[in-house]
Amino acid sequence: MKSFTPKPLIAFACLALSAVIAAPVQADAEAIANEMCAGCHGADGNSMVPGFPKLAGQQKVYLLRELKDYRSGKRVSEIMAPLVSTLSDQDVADLADFYAKQKPAPGVAGNPALLSVGKNLYLKGNSNTDVPSCDSCHEEDGSGSGKFPRVAGQHVDYALDQFRLYATGKRTNGSRVMQAVANRMSEEETRAVAEYMASMP
Amino acid sequence: MRIKLLAPAMLGLALLAIAGQSSSADLNKQPRAAGIETYGYAWNSPDQDLNRALAHPADAEKGQADYKICKGCHKIDGSGLAEADYPQLAGQHASVIIKQMMDIRAGRRDNPRMYPFSGDWIVSAEEIADIAAYLNKLPTPATNGKGNGYNLSRGKALYYKDCASCHGKSGEGDAKKFYPMVAGQHYSYLKRETRESRDQGRRNASLEMVKVLKRYSDADIDAVSDYMSRLKVAEKH
Repeated sequence: MKSFTPKPLIAFACLALSAVIAAPVQADAEAIANEMCAGCHGADGNSMVPGFPKLAGQQKVYLLRELKDYRSGKRVSEIMAPLVSTLSDQDVADLADFYAKQKPAPGVAGNPALLSVGKNLYLKGNSNTDVPSCDSCHEEDGSGSGKFPRVAGQHVDYALDQFRLYATGKRTNGSRVMQAVANRMSEEETRAVAEYMASMP
Repeated sequence: MRIKLLAPAMLGLALLAIAGQSSSADLNKQPRAAGIETYGYAWNSPDQDLNRALAHPADAEKGQADYKICKGCHKIDGSGLAEADYPQLAGQHASVIIKQMMDIRAGRRDNPRMYPFSGDWIVSAEEIADIAAYLNKLPTPATNGKGNGYNLSRGKALYYKDCASCHGKSGEGDAKKFYPMVAGQHYSYLKRETRESRDQGRRNASLEMVKVLKRYSDADIDAVSDYMSRLKVAEKH
């Protein structure tokens, strides 16, 4: 559980940045991204910080929903909430579009030992515990579609945080499907699938 | 001695762990609606959600896209999975799929495994109708799970005595009456559902059917399930 504690230094940096641009102007998405988001999510959305998600190539529909949910408080984050509160509807739409168009960096495999377990669960699910296969919604190549997010190349740490938030009922935005799925997955399966997703190109 | 002291502590920890999980479990906990155990129960009584889905001009093409979320268990060809008792859905009557979905999400048919995937926060009544139309058009694979084949003559005799009048001579069911097609269904699934219907665990079963099934032994149900799983699905259109 400790891994999703806000990283204080980075959070502070983001908040400091947000304070600088407190009054939003008609800046284009790239300018907003550079000023507000790049510190944590990387200039092109390929975050270098394991706890912060990569956004490059993410599904636009998904990004838009998450940004709006952060703004309304449906998705809870002490870091994201103050940042998105300054954004207009147009800004969030532009940002979603901007990150969806960025080129995702290829994935990195952290723990090869878990990859085959992860791949098996991702493609086949586990019928003993009624875990559906992941590819049905997130696609075989992990690219996602529409409201189903891209998972390919995502940081292991971020993915694990989200699985745990879902499993414990703390992430409640979107559909409830992931809560059921994450709740049914064992610790090993969760780790293995996170590693497999991170390894996807 | 030490083990004796440890046991209650471990139990306490386990209970704490379960309590910690409860928020997620609650959100996906299936409601319970009145079913066959209730006085005055009528099978397939009018339901708003059901009527909405039935009135919707179904679009099978859209249904194919919306089927995405189901196929993680029911597979891309709708064949389900015999060893996990996931039913085969390809070629099933749209009305049957719609009714069963609505019964699960209303809590008339207990299915905690399926429930988190059936709610209206995931699929609307109209989308269920689209998905059902799509599944109905899929060819029923003949590779479904079968029984051991030891009592097929017994199964056949029971089927034509008690079941065929509703489920059809070839197990084709009846779309208009919401009677499921049983031909091509997995043996394991037929067996489980038939036993549960008899024992009133499947709370959305028809009273008429349960009355007949009360006379059935486990072996009778196994035999008739095996026979049904081997019925050939008629060519459509």
